Amino acid sequence: MSQIELRGNFHEELNIVSDTIVTLAAHVTEAIPRATEALINNDLELAQEVISHDDELDLLSLQIEERCYALIALQQPMAIDMRSIVTAMKINGEYERSGDLAVNICKGVRRIYGISLSPTLRGLVTSMGEEAVRLTRVSVDAYAEGSEGLAAALPDMDDRLDDLQADFIQEIFAAHSRGELKLEETVQLALVARFYERIGDHAVNIGDRVMYMVTGESTESAGAARARAAQEGDEAE
Amino acid sequence: MVRLLPSKERLSKGSRVSAEELAADVAVDAVASEQTAPTDAIIDDDMPESDLVFNVSDLSVYYGDFRAVRDVNMAIRPKEITALIGPSGCGKSTVLRSFNRMNDLIPTARVEGTLLYRGVDLYDERVDPVEVRRRIGMVFQKPNPFPKSIYDNVAYGPRVAGQKKGLDDVVESSLKKAALWDEVKDRLNESAIGMSGGQQQRLSIARAIAGDPEVLLMDEPCSALDPIATARIEELMAELKDEYTILIVTHNMQQAARVSDRTAFYSVEVDEKSDRRTGILVEYTNTEKLFSNPDDERTENYITGRFG
Ligand SMILES: Nc1ncnc2c1ncn2[C@@H]1O[C@H](COP(=O)(O)OP(=O)(O)OP(=O)(O)O)[C@@H](O)[C@H]1O
Ligand SMILES: [Mg+2]
Repeated sequence: MSQIELRGNFHEELNIVSDTIVTLAAHVTEAIPRATEALINNDLELAQEVISHDDELDLLSLQIEERCYALIALQQPMAIDMRSIVTAMKINGEYERSGDLAVNICKGVRRIYGISLSPTLRGLVTSMGEEAVRLTRVSVDAYAEGSEGLAAALPDMDDRLDDLQADFIQEIFAAHSRGELKLEETVQLALVARFYERIGDHAVNIGDRVMYMVTGESTESAGAARARAAQEGDEAE
Repeated sequence: MVRLLPSKERLSKGSRVSAEELAADVAVDAVASEQTAPTDAIIDDDMPESDLVFNVSDLSVYYGDFRAVRDVNMAIRPKEITALIGPSGCGKSTVLRSFNRMNDLIPTARVEGTLLYRGVDLYDERVDPVEVRRRIGMVFQKPNPFPKSIYDNVAYGPRVAGQKKGLDDVVESSLKKAALWDEVKDRLNESAIGMSGGQQQRLSIARAIAGDPEVLLMDEPCSALDPIATARIEELMAELKDEYTILIVTHNMQQAARVSDRTAFYSVEVDEKSDRRTGILVEYTNTEKLFSNPDDERTENYITGRFG
Protein backbone atom coordinates (compact mmCIF):
# COMPACT_ATOMS: atom_id res chain seq x y z
CA MET A 1 0.00 0.00 0.00
CA SER A 2 1.31 3.41 -0.85
CA GLN A 3 2.11 5.45 2.21
CA ILE A 4 0.14 8.61 1.68
CA GLU A 5 -0.80 10.78 4.60
CA LEU A 6 -4.49 11.26 3.91
CA ARG A 7 -5.46 13.46 6.78
CA GLY A 8 -2.38 15.62 6.96
CA ASN A 9 -4.22 18.74 8.03
CA PHE A 10 -6.01 16.90 10.75
CA HIS A 11 -2.82 15.48 12.19
CA GLU A 12 -1.15 18.86 12.00
CA GLU A 13 -4.05 20.28 13.99
CA LEU A 14 -3.68 17.48 16.49
CA ASN A 15 0.00 18.36 16.86
CA ILE A 16 -0.93 21.98 17.50
CA VAL A 17 -3.25 20.83 20.26
CA SER A 18 -0.55 18.81 21.98
CA ASP A 19 2.03 21.58 21.53
CA THR A 20 -0.37 24.05 23.13
CA ILE A 21 -0.93 21.70 26.03
CA VAL A 22 2.82 21.44 26.53
CA THR A 23 2.96 25.26 26.55
CA LEU A 24 0.15 25.42 29.09
CA ALA A 25 1.93 22.87 31.27
CA ALA A 26 5.17 24.87 30.99
CA HIS A 27 3.34 27.95 32.29
CA VAL A 28 1.98 25.91 35.18
CA THR A 29 5.38 24.54 36.08
CA GLU A 30 6.65 28.12 36.18
CA ALA A 31 3.73 29.39 38.26
CA ILE A 32 4.31 26.85 41.05
CA PRO A 33 7.87 27.90 42.07
CA ARG A 34 6.87 31.54 41.81
CA ALA A 35 3.96 30.91 44.18
CA THR A 36 6.33 29.11 46.54
CA GLU A 37 8.79 31.99 46.39
CA ALA A 38 6.01 34.50 47.09
CA LEU A 39 4.96 32.41 50.09
CA ILE A 40 8.40 32.04 51.58
CA ASN A 41 9.43 35.67 51.00
CA ASN A 42 6.11 37.27 51.85
CA ASP A 43 6.25 38.79 48.38
CA LEU A 44 2.82 40.25 47.61
CA GLU A 45 3.91 41.74 44.31
CA LEU A 46 5.08 38.39 42.99
CA ALA A 47 1.89 36.75 44.29
CA GLN A 48 -0.14 39.29 42.34
CA GLU A 49 1.87 38.64 39.19
CA VAL A 50 1.12 34.93 39.38
CA ILE A 51 -2.56 35.66 39.94
CA SER A 52 -2.76 38.04 36.97
CA HIS A 53 -0.80 35.73 34.70
CA ASP A 54 -3.35 32.97 35.28
CA ASP A 55 -5.77 34.72 32.90
CA GLU A 56 -3.43 33.88 30.06
CA LEU A 57 -3.39 30.26 31.13
CA ASP A 58 -7.18 30.24 31.15
CA LEU A 59 -7.24 31.65 27.64
CA LEU A 60 -4.76 29.04 26.43
CA SER A 61 -6.85 26.33 27.99
CA LEU A 62 -10.00 27.66 26.34
CA GLN A 63 -8.28 27.70 22.96
CA ILE A 64 -7.20 24.10 23.40
CA GLU A 65 -10.72 23.10 24.27
CA GLU A 66 -12.25 24.91 21.29
CA ARG A 67 -9.75 23.37 18.91
CA CYS A 68 -10.61 19.92 20.25
CA TYR A 69 -14.35 20.53 19.78
CA ALA A 70 -13.76 21.63 16.21
CA LEU A 71 -11.62 18.56 15.46
CA ILE A 72 -14.24 16.23 16.86
CA ALA A 73 -17.08 17.93 14.98
CA LEU A 74 -15.26 18.17 11.66
CA GLN A 75 -13.14 15.05 11.63
CA GLN A 76 -14.90 12.41 13.75
CA PRO A 77 -11.58 11.01 14.84
CA MET A 78 -11.09 7.34 15.56
CA ALA A 79 -8.66 5.06 17.38
CA ILE A 80 -5.45 6.82 18.50
CA ASP A 81 -6.77 10.11 17.10
CA MET A 82 -9.94 9.86 19.13
CA ARG A 83 -7.99 8.86 22.24
CA SER A 84 -5.53 11.71 21.73
CA ILE A 85 -8.27 14.31 21.53
CA VAL A 86 -10.18 12.97 24.50
CA THR A 87 -6.92 12.86 26.46
CA ALA A 88 -6.03 16.39 25.39
CA MET A 89 -9.38 17.68 26.61
CA LYS A 90 -9.13 15.90 29.93
CA ILE A 91 -5.58 16.87 30.76
CA ASN A 92 -6.18 20.39 29.54
CA GLY A 93 -8.63 20.64 32.42
CA GLU A 94 -6.12 19.14 34.84
CA TYR A 95 -3.41 21.68 33.99
CA GLU A 96 -5.88 24.51 34.11
CA ARG A 97 -6.83 23.40 37.65
CA SER A 98 -3.17 23.12 38.67
CA GLY A 99 -2.71 26.70 37.47
CA ASP A 100 -5.65 27.74 39.63
CA LEU A 101 -4.07 25.99 42.61
CA ALA A 102 -0.88 28.05 42.18
CA VAL A 103 -3.18 31.09 42.21
CA ASN A 104 -4.84 29.81 45.37
CA ILE A 105 -1.45 29.52 47.05
CA CYS A 106 -0.77 33.16 46.13
CA LYS A 107 -4.12 34.23 47.53
CA GLY A 108 -3.10 32.43 50.73
CA VAL A 109 0.08 34.53 50.73
CA ARG A 110 -2.07 37.66 50.91
CA ARG A 111 -4.12 36.29 53.80
CA ILE A 112 -1.13 35.41 55.96
CA TYR A 113 0.90 38.45 55.02
CA GLY A 114 3.49 39.29 57.63
CA ILE A 115 3.99 35.92 59.29
CA SER A 116 7.45 34.50 59.45
CA LEU A 117 7.77 30.78 58.92
CA SER A 118 10.15 28.69 60.96
CA PRO A 119 13.13 27.20 59.08
CA THR A 120 11.49 23.77 59.32
CA LEU A 121 8.25 25.03 57.75
CA ARG A 122 10.15 26.94 55.08
CA GLY A 123 12.06 23.78 54.26
CA LEU A 124 8.86 21.75 54.01
CA VAL A 125 7.15 24.37 51.81
CA THR A 126 10.19 24.43 49.53
CA SER A 127 10.15 20.64 49.26
CA MET A 128 6.41 20.51 48.58
CA GLY A 129 6.85 23.13 45.85
CA GLU A 130 9.71 21.19 44.29
CA GLU A 131 7.80 17.93 44.36
CA ALA A 132 4.71 19.57 42.83
CA VAL A 133 6.84 20.96 39.99
CA ARG A 134 8.59 17.64 39.48
CA LEU A 135 5.28 15.77 39.24
CA THR A 136 3.89 18.31 36.80
CA ARG A 137 7.04 18.10 34.65
CA VAL A 138 7.01 14.34 34.55
CA SER A 139 3.31 14.38 33.65
CA VAL A 140 3.92 16.64 30.67
CA ASP A 141 6.93 14.61 29.57
CA ALA A 142 4.79 11.48 29.78
CA TYR A 143 2.17 13.19 27.63
CA ALA A 144 4.52 14.71 25.08
CA GLU A 145 6.42 11.46 24.63
CA GLY A 146 3.39 9.22 24.96
CA SER A 147 5.38 7.34 27.60
CA GLU A 148 3.61 4.67 29.60
CA GLY A 149 6.68 4.30 31.80
CA LEU A 150 6.78 7.92 32.92
CA ALA A 151 3.02 7.92 33.44
CA ALA A 152 3.30 4.81 35.59
CA ALA A 153 5.95 6.43 37.80
CA LEU A 154 3.66 9.27 38.86
CA PRO A 155 1.62 7.64 41.65
CA ASP A 156 4.77 6.63 43.57
CA MET A 157 6.25 10.08 43.14
CA ASP A 158 3.02 11.53 44.44
CA ASP A 159 3.36 9.52 47.66
CA ARG A 160 6.39 11.66 48.50
CA LEU A 161 4.35 14.83 48.19
CA ASP A 162 1.60 13.33 50.31
CA ASP A 163 4.14 12.51 53.03
CA LEU A 164 5.55 16.02 52.92
CA GLN A 165 2.09 17.44 53.24
CA ALA A 166 1.37 15.24 56.28
CA ASP A 167 4.66 16.35 57.89
CA PHE A 168 3.86 19.96 57.18
CA ILE A 169 0.38 19.75 58.72
CA GLN A 170 1.82 18.09 61.82
CA GLU A 171 4.44 20.79 62.05
CA ILE A 172 1.99 23.71 61.77
CA PHE A 173 -0.26 22.25 64.43
CA ALA A 174 2.76 21.84 66.70
CA ALA A 175 3.75 25.45 65.99
CA HIS A 176 0.18 26.51 66.74
CA SER A 177 0.17 24.78 70.11
CA ARG A 178 3.51 26.39 70.93
CA GLY A 179 1.80 29.73 70.24
CA GLU A 180 3.97 30.49 67.20
CA LEU A 181 1.04 30.49 64.74
CA LYS A 182 -2.44 31.91 65.17
CA LEU A 183 -5.41 29.67 64.44
CA GLU A 184 -6.23 31.72 61.32
CA GLU A 185 -2.65 31.35 60.04
CA THR A 186 -2.61 27.65 60.82
CA VAL A 187 -5.79 27.11 58.81
CA GLN A 188 -4.46 29.11 55.86
CA LEU A 189 -1.19 27.17 55.87
CA ALA A 190 -3.07 23.87 56.04
CA LEU A 191 -5.00 24.96 52.95
CA VAL A 192 -1.80 25.92 51.17
CA ALA A 193 -0.39 22.45 51.88
CA ARG A 194 -3.56 20.99 50.50
CA PHE A 195 -3.15 23.03 47.30
CA TYR A 196 0.29 21.55 46.70
CA GLU A 197 -1.05 18.11 47.36
CA ARG A 198 -3.86 18.65 44.83
CA ILE A 199 -1.35 19.68 42.15
CA GLY A 200 0.24 16.28 42.66
CA ASP A 201 -3.14 14.57 42.28
CA HIS A 202 -3.72 16.34 38.99
CA ALA A 203 -0.35 15.11 37.74
CA VAL A 204 -1.34 11.56 38.67
CA ASN A 205 -4.65 11.98 36.82
CA ILE A 206 -2.73 13.19 33.79
CA GLY A 207 -0.60 10.05 33.98
CA ASP A 208 -3.78 7.93 33.95
CA ARG A 209 -5.02 9.78 30.89
CA VAL A 210 -1.73 9.29 29.11
CA MET A 211 -1.98 5.56 29.84
CA TYR A 212 -5.41 5.58 28.21
CA MET A 213 -4.12 7.48 25.23
CA VAL A 214 -1.25 5.07 24.72
CA THR A 215 -2.87 1.74 25.58
CA GLY A 216 -6.57 2.37 25.05
CA GLU A 217 -7.32 1.07 28.54
CA SER A 218 -8.82 3.29 31.20
CA THR A 219 -7.36 3.10 34.67
CA GLU A 220 -10.01 2.39 37.20
CA SER A 221 -9.82 4.23 40.52
CA ALA A 222 -10.26 2.17 43.68
CA GLY A 223 -13.64 3.86 44.21
CA ALA A 224 -14.83 3.11 40.69
CA ALA A 225 -13.71 -0.51 41.11
CA ARG A 226 -15.78 -0.78 44.30
CA ALA A 227 -18.84 0.75 42.63
CA ARG A 228 -18.48 -1.56 39.64
CA ALA A 229 -18.16 -4.61 41.90
CA ALA A 230 -21.27 -3.50 43.80
CA GLN A 231 -23.23 -2.99 40.56
CA GLU A 232 -22.18 -6.34 39.19
CA GLY A 233 -23.21 -7.90 42.49
CA ASP A 234 -26.67 -6.30 42.12
CA GLU A 235 -27.04 -7.61 38.61
CA ALA A 236 -26.06 -11.11 39.67
CA GLU A 237 -28.88 -11.21 42.19
CA MET B 1 -32.28 -27.48 11.43
CA VAL B 2 -31.31 -26.02 8.14
CA ARG B 3 -33.09 -27.29 5.09
CA LEU B 4 -30.96 -26.45 2.16
CA LEU B 5 -30.02 -29.93 1.15
CA PRO B 6 -32.41 -32.15 -0.74
CA SER B 7 -32.62 -35.78 0.34
CA LYS B 8 -30.82 -38.30 -1.81
CA GLU B 9 -34.11 -39.78 -2.82
CA ARG B 10 -35.47 -36.46 -3.96
CA LEU B 11 -32.28 -35.58 -5.71
CA SER B 12 -32.52 -38.69 -7.76
CA LYS B 13 -35.92 -37.54 -8.93
CA GLY B 14 -34.30 -34.27 -9.87
CA SER B 15 -36.66 -32.09 -7.88
CA ARG B 16 -36.31 -29.65 -5.01
CA VAL B 17 -37.44 -30.68 -1.57
CA SER B 18 -39.87 -29.56 1.07
CA ALA B 19 -38.58 -28.28 4.35
CA GLU B 20 -40.12 -31.07 6.40
CA GLU B 21 -38.41 -33.78 4.47
CA LEU B 22 -35.10 -32.10 4.82
CA ALA B 23 -35.38 -31.58 8.53
CA ALA B 24 -34.78 -35.24 9.09
CA ASP B 25 -32.09 -35.58 6.48
CA VAL B 26 -29.10 -37.37 7.86
CA ALA B 27 -26.94 -36.17 5.01
CA VAL B 28 -27.18 -32.67 6.38
CA ASP B 29 -25.67 -33.68 9.69
CA ALA B 30 -23.00 -35.71 8.00
CA VAL B 31 -21.96 -32.81 5.82
CA ALA B 32 -22.10 -30.39 8.69
CA SER B 33 -19.87 -32.33 11.04
CA GLU B 34 -17.44 -33.18 8.31
CA GLN B 35 -16.82 -29.57 7.44
CA THR B 36 -16.51 -27.99 10.84
CA ALA B 37 -13.02 -29.17 11.64
CA PRO B 38 -10.50 -26.45 10.80
CA THR B 39 -11.95 -23.19 11.97
CA ASP B 40 -9.87 -20.37 13.16
CA ALA B 41 -12.64 -17.90 13.68
CA ILE B 42 -11.20 -14.56 14.69
CA ILE B 43 -13.57 -13.75 17.45
CA ASP B 44 -12.88 -12.60 20.95
CA ASP B 45 -15.43 -14.62 22.83
CA ASP B 46 -16.70 -18.08 22.24
CA MET B 47 -20.05 -19.06 20.94
CA PRO B 48 -20.90 -22.68 20.40
CA GLU B 49 -20.40 -23.58 16.76
CA SER B 50 -24.04 -24.64 16.56
CA ASP B 51 -25.32 -21.17 17.42
CA LEU B 52 -23.34 -19.40 14.72
CA VAL B 53 -25.17 -18.24 11.62
CA PHE B 54 -22.07 -18.42 9.45
CA ASN B 55 -18.69 -19.91 10.02
CA VAL B 56 -16.21 -19.07 7.33
CA SER B 57 -12.91 -20.95 7.20
CA ASP B 58 -10.01 -20.24 4.90
CA LEU B 59 -12.26 -18.73 2.29
CA SER B 60 -10.59 -17.59 -0.93
CA VAL B 61 -12.46 -16.24 -3.91
CA TYR B 62 -11.05 -16.32 -7.44
CA TYR B 63 -12.11 -14.62 -10.63
CA GLY B 64 -10.49 -16.93 -13.15
CA ASP B 65 -6.81 -17.15 -12.13
CA PHE B 66 -7.02 -13.99 -10.11
CA ARG B 67 -7.35 -14.55 -6.40
CA ALA B 68 -9.41 -11.56 -5.23
CA VAL B 69 -9.48 -12.47 -1.51
CA ARG B 70 -7.66 -15.09 0.46
CA ASP B 71 -7.86 -17.00 3.71
CA VAL B 72 -10.84 -15.34 5.30
CA ASN B 73 -11.91 -16.68 8.67
CA MET B 74 -15.00 -15.17 10.17
CA ALA B 75 -17.80 -16.30 12.46
CA ILE B 76 -21.12 -14.48 12.26
CA ARG B 77 -23.42 -14.57 15.24
CA PRO B 78 -27.21 -14.44 15.07
CA LYS B 79 -29.07 -11.15 15.26
CA GLU B 80 -26.00 -9.05 15.09
CA ILE B 81 -24.96 -6.48 12.56
CA THR B 82 -21.54 -7.11 11.10
CA ALA B 83 -19.87 -4.37 9.09
CA LEU B 84 -17.27 -4.99 6.39
CA ILE B 85 -15.00 -2.02 5.81
CA GLY B 86 -11.81 -1.44 3.89
CA PRO B 87 -10.32 0.31 0.89
CA SER B 88 -11.76 -0.04 -2.58
CA GLY B 89 -10.93 -3.31 -4.24
CA CYS B 90 -10.11 -5.21 -1.03
CA GLY B 91 -12.90 -7.66 -1.77
CA LYS B 92 -15.73 -6.61 0.51
CA SER B 93 -18.39 -7.11 -2.15
CA THR B 94 -16.72 -10.32 -3.25
CA VAL B 95 -16.86 -11.72 0.28
CA LEU B 96 -20.40 -10.47 0.85
CA ARG B 97 -21.58 -12.09 -2.38
CA SER B 98 -20.07 -15.39 -1.34
CA PHE B 99 -22.40 -15.45 1.68
CA ASN B 100 -25.41 -16.12 -0.55
CA ARG B 101 -23.70 -17.60 -3.58
CA MET B 102 -24.29 -14.51 -5.61
CA ASN B 103 -20.80 -15.13 -7.00
CA ASP B 104 -22.24 -18.14 -8.83
CA LEU B 105 -23.81 -15.67 -11.21
CA ILE B 106 -20.33 -14.51 -12.27
CA PRO B 107 -19.03 -17.21 -14.65
CA THR B 108 -15.35 -16.83 -13.73
CA ALA B 109 -15.91 -16.73 -9.96
CA ARG B 110 -14.78 -19.68 -7.85
CA VAL B 111 -14.74 -20.21 -4.11
CA GLU B 112 -12.26 -22.19 -2.02
CA GLY B 113 -12.46 -23.01 1.67
CA THR B 114 -15.66 -23.53 3.59
CA LEU B 115 -18.57 -21.31 4.31
CA LEU B 116 -20.93 -22.95 6.76
CA TYR B 117 -24.41 -21.57 7.12
CA ARG B 118 -26.07 -23.02 10.20
CA GLY B 119 -23.59 -25.85 10.05
CA VAL B 120 -24.25 -26.65 6.39
CA ASP B 121 -21.62 -26.11 3.72
CA LEU B 122 -23.22 -23.53 1.44
CA TYR B 123 -21.11 -24.66 -1.48
CA ASP B 124 -22.00 -28.30 -1.15
CA GLU B 125 -23.07 -29.33 -4.62
CA ARG B 126 -26.41 -30.52 -3.33
CA VAL B 127 -27.31 -27.12 -1.93
CA ASP B 128 -29.91 -25.21 -3.92
CA PRO B 129 -28.56 -21.69 -4.59
CA VAL B 130 -32.05 -20.32 -5.15
CA GLU B 131 -33.08 -21.43 -1.69
CA VAL B 132 -29.83 -19.98 -0.33
CA ARG B 133 -30.63 -16.58 -1.82
CA ARG B 134 -34.14 -16.68 -0.38
CA ARG B 135 -32.84 -17.34 3.12
CA ILE B 136 -29.98 -14.94 2.73
CA GLY B 137 -31.42 -11.85 1.08
CA MET B 138 -29.46 -9.08 -0.54
CA VAL B 139 -29.88 -5.33 -0.74
CA PHE B 140 -27.74 -3.46 -3.27
CA GLN B 141 -26.24 -0.02 -3.50
CA LYS B 142 -28.75 1.14 -6.10
CA PRO B 143 -32.35 0.23 -5.32
CA ASN B 144 -33.41 -0.48 -8.96
CA PRO B 145 -37.09 -1.24 -8.38
CA PHE B 146 -38.99 -2.88 -11.23
CA PRO B 147 -41.10 -0.49 -13.26
CA LYS B 148 -44.14 -1.93 -11.60
CA SER B 149 -46.39 -1.05 -8.69
CA ILE B 150 -45.07 -0.89 -5.15
CA TYR B 151 -47.24 -3.90 -4.36
CA ASP B 152 -45.87 -5.95 -7.23
CA ASN B 153 -42.31 -5.12 -6.31
CA VAL B 154 -42.74 -6.55 -2.83
CA ALA B 155 -44.89 -9.48 -3.96
CA TYR B 156 -42.43 -10.41 -6.70
CA GLY B 157 -40.28 -12.79 -4.68
CA PRO B 158 -43.09 -14.73 -3.03
CA ARG B 159 -44.89 -14.98 -6.40
CA VAL B 160 -41.82 -16.36 -8.12
CA ALA B 161 -41.56 -18.86 -5.28
CA GLY B 162 -45.07 -19.96 -6.16
CA GLN B 163 -47.01 -18.28 -3.41
CA LYS B 164 -50.56 -17.29 -4.43
CA LYS B 165 -52.48 -16.87 -1.21
CA GLY B 166 -51.84 -14.35 1.54
CA LEU B 167 -49.80 -12.02 -0.65
CA ASP B 168 -51.57 -8.98 0.80
CA ASP B 169 -50.38 -9.95 4.25
CA VAL B 170 -46.83 -10.54 3.10
CA VAL B 171 -46.74 -7.17 1.33
CA GLU B 172 -48.16 -5.34 4.33
CA SER B 173 -45.93 -6.95 6.93
CA SER B 174 -42.82 -6.56 4.76
CA LEU B 175 -43.51 -2.88 4.15
CA LYS B 176 -44.17 -2.41 7.86
CA LYS B 177 -40.92 -4.06 8.82
CA ALA B 178 -39.15 -1.88 6.28
CA ALA B 179 -40.72 1.20 7.92
CA LEU B 180 -42.39 2.13 4.67
CA TRP B 181 -46.00 1.10 5.18
CA ASP B 182 -47.32 4.41 6.52
CA GLU B 183 -45.84 6.31 3.62
CA VAL B 184 -47.15 4.05 0.85
CA LYS B 185 -50.23 2.24 2.15
CA ASP B 186 -52.56 4.51 0.18
CA ARG B 187 -50.68 4.17 -3.08
CA LEU B 188 -49.66 0.55 -3.28
CA ASN B 189 -50.68 0.41 -6.91
CA GLU B 190 -48.62 3.38 -7.97
CA SER B 191 -45.32 2.83 -9.71
CA ALA B 192 -42.29 2.31 -7.50
CA ILE B 193 -40.26 4.45 -9.88
CA GLY B 194 -41.83 7.59 -8.48
CA MET B 195 -40.52 7.00 -4.97
CA SER B 196 -37.62 8.91 -3.46
CA GLY B 197 -34.20 7.24 -3.29
CA GLY B 198 -34.56 6.58 0.42
CA GLN B 199 -38.03 5.09 -0.07
CA GLN B 200 -36.78 2.95 -2.94
CA GLN B 201 -34.02 1.60 -0.74
CA ARG B 202 -36.51 0.73 1.99
CA LEU B 203 -38.60 -0.90 -0.74
CA SER B 204 -35.55 -3.03 -1.63
CA ILE B 205 -35.36 -4.04 2.02
CA ALA B 206 -39.10 -4.86 2.00
CA ARG B 207 -38.52 -6.96 -1.10
CA ALA B 208 -35.74 -8.87 0.58
CA ILE B 209 -37.83 -9.34 3.71
CA ALA B 210 -40.83 -10.62 1.71
CA GLY B 211 -38.82 -13.74 0.90
CA ASP B 212 -38.75 -14.51 4.65
CA PRO B 213 -34.97 -14.60 4.98
CA GLU B 214 -32.88 -15.13 8.09
CA VAL B 215 -29.99 -13.00 6.91
CA LEU B 216 -29.82 -9.68 5.06
CA LEU B 217 -26.71 -8.77 3.11
CA MET B 218 -26.36 -5.10 2.28
CA ASP B 219 -23.74 -3.74 -0.08
CA GLU B 220 -23.31 0.00 0.51
CA PRO B 221 -27.06 0.45 0.94
CA CYS B 222 -26.81 4.15 1.81
CA SER B 223 -24.13 5.37 -0.53
CA ALA B 224 -26.66 7.02 -2.86
CA LEU B 225 -28.77 8.50 -0.07
CA ASP B 226 -28.84 11.85 1.69
CA PRO B 227 -28.09 11.99 5.44
CA ILE B 228 -31.75 11.88 6.49
CA ALA B 229 -32.59 8.92 4.28
CA THR B 230 -29.36 7.31 5.54
CA ALA B 231 -30.37 7.87 9.15
CA ARG B 232 -33.75 6.22 8.46
CA ILE B 233 -32.06 3.15 7.00
CA GLU B 234 -29.69 2.99 9.95
CA GLU B 235 -32.60 3.24 12.35
CA LEU B 236 -34.39 0.54 10.37
CA MET B 237 -31.33 -1.72 10.59
CA ALA B 238 -31.37 -1.39 14.37
CA GLU B 239 -35.03 -2.54 14.35
CA LEU B 240 -34.44 -5.36 11.88
CA LYS B 241 -31.69 -6.69 14.12
CA ASP B 242 -34.35 -8.11 16.45
CA GLU B 243 -35.30 -10.54 13.72
CA TYR B 244 -32.47 -10.77 11.22
CA THR B 245 -28.75 -11.22 11.07
CA ILE B 246 -27.29 -8.42 8.99
CA LEU B 247 -24.02 -8.00 7.11
CA ILE B 248 -23.30 -4.59 5.68
CA VAL B 249 -20.53 -3.32 3.45
CA THR B 250 -19.95 0.37 3.89
CA HIS B 251 -17.37 2.98 2.99
CA ASN B 252 -18.68 5.18 5.72
CA MET B 253 -16.72 4.33 8.84
CA GLN B 254 -18.99 6.40 11.02
CA GLN B 255 -21.88 4.35 9.70
CA ALA B 256 -20.09 1.11 10.52
CA ALA B 257 -19.37 2.51 13.98
CA ARG B 258 -22.97 3.61 14.51
CA VAL B 259 -24.84 0.54 13.35
CA SER B 260 -22.71 -2.54 13.77
CA ASP B 261 -21.89 -4.87 16.64
CA ARG B 262 -18.78 -6.23 14.99
CA THR B 263 -16.58 -4.87 12.29
CA ALA B 264 -14.29 -6.66 9.89
CA PHE B 265 -11.51 -4.61 8.37
CA TYR B 266 -10.28 -5.86 5.00
CA SER B 267 -7.22 -4.60 3.23
CA VAL B 268 -5.24 -5.23 0.07
CA GLU B 269 -1.96 -7.06 -0.02
CA VAL B 270 0.24 -6.24 -2.99
CA ASP B 271 2.72 -8.80 -4.26
CA GLU B 272 5.92 -6.90 -5.07
CA LYS B 273 6.93 -9.15 -7.96
CA SER B 274 3.69 -9.81 -9.76
CA ASP B 275 1.97 -6.61 -8.61
CA ARG B 276 -1.03 -8.78 -7.85
CA ARG B 277 -3.48 -7.37 -5.34
CA THR B 278 -5.21 -9.70 -2.97
CA GLY B 279 -7.82 -8.85 -0.36
CA ILE B 280 -7.22 -10.04 3.19
CA LEU B 281 -9.15 -9.84 6.43
CA VAL B 282 -6.91 -7.87 8.77
CA GLU B 283 -8.94 -7.54 11.93
CA TYR B 284 -12.38 -8.64 13.01
CA THR B 285 -13.63 -7.68 16.43
CA ASN B 286 -16.20 -5.71 18.45
CA THR B 287 -16.98 -2.47 16.71
CA GLU B 288 -16.23 -0.36 19.75
CA LYS B 289 -12.87 -2.01 20.15
CA LEU B 290 -12.00 -1.72 16.47
CA PHE B 291 -12.71 1.98 16.32
CA SER B 292 -11.32 3.01 19.68
CA ASN B 293 -8.34 0.73 20.10
CA PRO B 294 -7.65 -1.67 17.23
CA ASP B 295 -4.99 -4.35 17.67
CA ASP B 296 -3.54 -4.18 14.18
CA GLU B 297 -1.51 -1.22 13.03
CA ARG B 298 -2.95 -1.50 9.53
CA THR B 299 -6.45 -1.05 10.95
CA GLU B 300 -5.28 1.91 12.98
CA ASN B 301 -3.67 3.55 9.96
CA TYR B 302 -6.76 3.04 7.84
CA ILE B 303 -9.36 4.32 10.28
CA THR B 304 -7.26 7.32 11.22
CA GLY B 305 -6.62 8.09 7.55
CA ARG B 306 -2.86 7.82 7.85
CA PHE B 307 -2.34 5.70 4.77
CA GLY B 308 -4.16 5.32 1.50
N1 LIG C 1 -16.81 -9.85 -11.72
C1 LIG C 1 -15.51 -9.70 -11.54
N2 LIG C 1 -14.61 -10.21 -12.40
C2 LIG C 1 -13.30 -10.07 -12.21
N3 LIG C 1 -12.74 -9.43 -11.19
C3 LIG C 1 -13.57 -8.88 -10.28
C4 LIG C 1 -14.99 -9.00 -10.40
N4 LIG C 1 -15.56 -8.36 -9.35
C5 LIG C 1 -14.54 -7.89 -8.62
N5 LIG C 1 -13.35 -8.20 -9.15
C6 LIG C 1 -12.02 -7.86 -8.61
O1 LIG C 1 -11.90 -8.40 -7.32
C7 LIG C 1 -11.30 -7.49 -6.43
C8 LIG C 1 -12.23 -7.18 -5.28
O2 LIG C 1 -13.36 -6.49 -5.79
P1 LIG C 1 -14.61 -6.11 -4.91
O3 LIG C 1 -15.61 -5.50 -5.79
O4 LIG C 1 -15.03 -7.29 -4.10
O5 LIG C 1 -13.96 -5.02 -3.93
P2 LIG C 1 -14.69 -4.04 -2.91
O6 LIG C 1 -13.92 -4.10 -1.64
O7 LIG C 1 -16.14 -4.33 -2.85
O8 LIG C 1 -14.43 -2.62 -3.60
P3 LIG C 1 -15.34 -1.31 -3.58
O9 LIG C 1 -15.17 -0.73 -2.24
O10 LIG C 1 -14.74 -0.47 -4.65
O11 LIG C 1 -16.75 -1.72 -3.88
C9 LIG C 1 -10.95 -6.27 -7.26
O12 LIG C 1 -9.62 -6.38 -7.65
C10 LIG C 1 -11.87 -6.37 -8.44
O13 LIG C 1 -11.31 -5.78 -9.58
MG1 LIG D 1 -17.89 -3.24 -3.33
